[in-house]
Amino acid sequence: MAYFIQVLIDAVALGSLYALVALAIGLVFGVMKLINFAQADYLTVGAYSLVIPTAAATPSMMFGGLPWALMIFCVVLSITVLALITERVAFRPLRNTDPTTLLISSFAVSYFLQSLIIMFHGGRPKSVSIGAALTRPIDILGLRVGGVQFLTMTVALLLLIALVLFLKRTSIGIQLRAAAEDFSMARLLGVAANRVIAIAFAISGILGGVISLLFVIQTGTLDIRMGIMPTVYAFFATVIGGIGSLPGAVLGGYIVGILSVFLQAYLPEEMRPFRDAGVFTIVILILLVRPQGLIVTSAAKERV
Amino acid sequence: MRIFERLFPVLALVIPLAGVVWTIDQFGSASVERVATEALIRLVFAIGLYIFAGNSGIVSFGHMTFCAIAAYATAWQTCCAMLKPITMSGLPAFIRDNTFPLLPAALTSIALAGVVAFTSGLILMRLSSLSASISTLALMFILNVIYSNWTTVTMGSSTIVGLPVYVTIWIALGCAVLVIVIAYLYQVSRWGLMLRAAREDEVAAQASGTSLYWSRLIAFTLSGFVAGLAGVLFAHFMGTVSIANFFLNHTFLIVAMLVIGGMQSLAGAVVGVTFISVVIELFRRAEVGFSVGSTQISIPAGSQELILAGIMLLILIFRKAGIMGGKELRWPWSVRDDGTVVGVGQVRLAHSADSHR
Amino acid sequence: MLEVKQMVAGYGRLTALKGVDITVKKGEVVFVVGPNGAGKSTLLKTISGLMTPTGGEIRFQGERIDGRGPETLCRRGLALIPEGRHIFKTLTVQENLQVGAMIRKDSAEVRSDMEMVLDTFPILRERFKGVAGNLSGGEQQQLAIARSILQRPALLMIDEPSLGLAPLVIDQVYDSLRKLNETGLTLLIVEQSTGRIMELASRIYVLRNGKVVLEGDREELTDTSALDAAYFGFSSDAA
Repeated sequence: MAYFIQVLIDAVALGSLYALVALAIGLVFGVMKLINFAQADYLTVGAYSLVIPTAAATPSMMFGGLPWALMIFCVVLSITVLALITERVAFRPLRNTDPTTLLISSFAVSYFLQSLIIMFHGGRPKSVSIGAALTRPIDILGLRVGGVQFLTMTVALLLLIALVLFLKRTSIGIQLRAAAEDFSMARLLGVAANRVIAIAFAISGILGGVISLLFVIQTGTLDIRMGIMPTVYAFFATVIGGIGSLPGAVLGGYIVGILSVFLQAYLPEEMRPFRDAGVFTIVILILLVRPQGLIVTSAAKERV
Repeated sequence: MRIFERLFPVLALVIPLAGVVWTIDQFGSASVERVATEALIRLVFAIGLYIFAGNSGIVSFGHMTFCAIAAYATAWQTCCAMLKPITMSGLPAFIRDNTFPLLPAALTSIALAGVVAFTSGLILMRLSSLSASISTLALMFILNVIYSNWTTVTMGSSTIVGLPVYVTIWIALGCAVLVIVIAYLYQVSRWGLMLRAAREDEVAAQASGTSLYWSRLIAFTLSGFVAGLAGVLFAHFMGTVSIANFFLNHTFLIVAMLVIGGMQSLAGAVVGVTFISVVIELFRRAEVGFSVGSTQISIPAGSQELILAGIMLLILIFRKAGIMGGKELRWPWSVRDDGTVVGVGQVRLAHSADSHR
Repeated sequence: MLEVKQMVAGYGRLTALKGVDITVKKGEVVFVVGPNGAGKSTLLKTISGLMTPTGGEIRFQGERIDGRGPETLCRRGLALIPEGRHIFKTLTVQENLQVGAMIRKDSAEVRSDMEMVLDTFPILRERFKGVAGNLSGGEQQQLAIARSILQRPALLMIDEPSLGLAPLVIDQVYDSLRKLNETGLTLLIVEQSTGRIMELASRIYVLRNGKVVLEGDREELTDTSALDAAYFGFSSDAA
């Protein structure tokens, strides 16, 4: 039972993380029909911004050496700026093209950023330790819970709640949802295209920054591929949730997160390395039953 | 003459290719020949991807899957008779303990790739084009996870070495020509035309019933076979197989080639692969460094990738349809039904590339 | 109020509007009718800024507005309800109306306008907190109109308000449009069928193949045969 609850906490933690990334991807998709591969690299760049660019395997700290509040601020700020730059430079000129072209262009942006990291930091993984104090297990109601899991769950849940409140309660949040559903109509009502798109990218940058920190605390390593897995998971979260649906993205995020943790916990030992394959297979099977995703939106029909 | 005219789009690609290969074979150094051979194999793969992505308008990020499946399958059958029972002990006994002739091994491997493409296509082709794109990525991740961890059969993330190396520049050329012809015959066939029509207007095409699903599935399967062929060629060109070679980097390279050349025509695929192969090779050499007089000049490692991504973005922004603009090469003096001569510059375009909202 | 002069617009190589002149004066209800593919929707999209014209000029309240984006134009008092209503189905009725009033800063008046709108369309008050996607077609049309009114436009353009609605519901919609016009709102309405327009129209344009083939006041067109002739493209003295 205790084991189950620990697994459950893990599942909620990971599910919330994926839900967050999926929501970021879903928002950007909503306002400009772009599925943003570069989200992976927002995560990666965020993590790498902790250290000084060198080829060394244990580099000295850059943002990682700052007091934690300042560190979070700097990382989040720089990733937000990065997200806005990619929007301005690469995606804005393509704003009215079809989703496939946009997808390919984000693939190119992603590759560009990845190459940039390799150029400055070298391609090999590095070890970095921040927040070591947070990794100690803590006792909650007699259960020993990994400090990192607890942190991840708390932060991810808080962010998710904050984001949902922002989308539901603030005027700009409502505009964003309106634009995500029907961009032309929102513009007709005065929603400024540049502004909502910039806000969607800013949100994906902020989330990218925070999540990158959570990942580094969890793994203690930097890797040029570190952003890919969570982002690809988030892609599938949006696909099974129903492309274009924000509640669908959250739902999908939890589904893949929970699946992933439960497979990890309950698969026989020798099968565990295949966990990700299992999750993807289940995702494809869900699509077999519901090709349009769990929550079907009009945006899923590509031509308007 | 009419036959010649009809086959012109193929001949206009194949003859220059053969000419270049002959020149390299006669006058080029061994390293140039290697580079050219590799480019031709990439061309086979790119055309495989084109058969699906170019005709259907659905870009696939997962075709490396089929490449990897065929490469591993041929490795299992032809590689290292002595070591196989130890390093790949999990193989079925008849494969583990036997070494198969090269041609049957190649054919069965290609067939396996095709079958996997068909089976996965049964599911993926039901999805909307965007979901399908993303799901092809899932396919590649599934395969990557399985082959990286299935140590007793694939040697995990280690490299399988000792495959017979038989792919020369002429074999690569032969295969490239073969798939160009296949791709062309496919795209002018009824199924190909149907799919190209659907690419232009999915909603209208869907109204015509389930045929969209089947025409997509046929394209996907056919492109799976061709990608399998590319996988076999890669394996027997390098002499090694490693799962790391069948992942995102290589996918990016091929997608970039297609996009830059122009994803919607066969000529675009050929032009893209040629152009990018040359660019990459130049930058690779520049990264190694070359001497001008007495000074050694080199550019930082990784600039090749940056430039490639940069070119791709610029093409997408300023010339979305790629270098070839979605056109095939056409017989420049063809006479239309109404008697007017169609010049190269004013090829009839069945599709306007601009989308509008 | 609105002057469209020799406007040309289209999609890529396809020219949907080939030099169209249309004038709307303050307080009028102007109808543009025409068969499928005549360019009616393109006309409204171009005026509202969703599409950029390739020729001609558009003046709204004396100023050139062609080439400006919809987010600017709606602040100048131009509103469009596109074909198919385009309410935000995943948002609540309340949120839909909030987005409609978004461009306004006068929150006190927005509140009183909101009350007014909810009085005009009581069903919306009933469903205020509900998700808009659950409304029926007629209710969605009411919501779309209400949402646009909250913009306080000087000119409201509507693309096929009766599309897909039952005759009884069309009555209601036309009724509310008439009331709105009586409060001083100028209307430019596109319809495919000529059936209902006479009761509301002050002036009518017939659009065919991207050109205006007939225009006239309601009084001039009481004999509908000229209208029908222009609409169906019979060779006639009207064209």
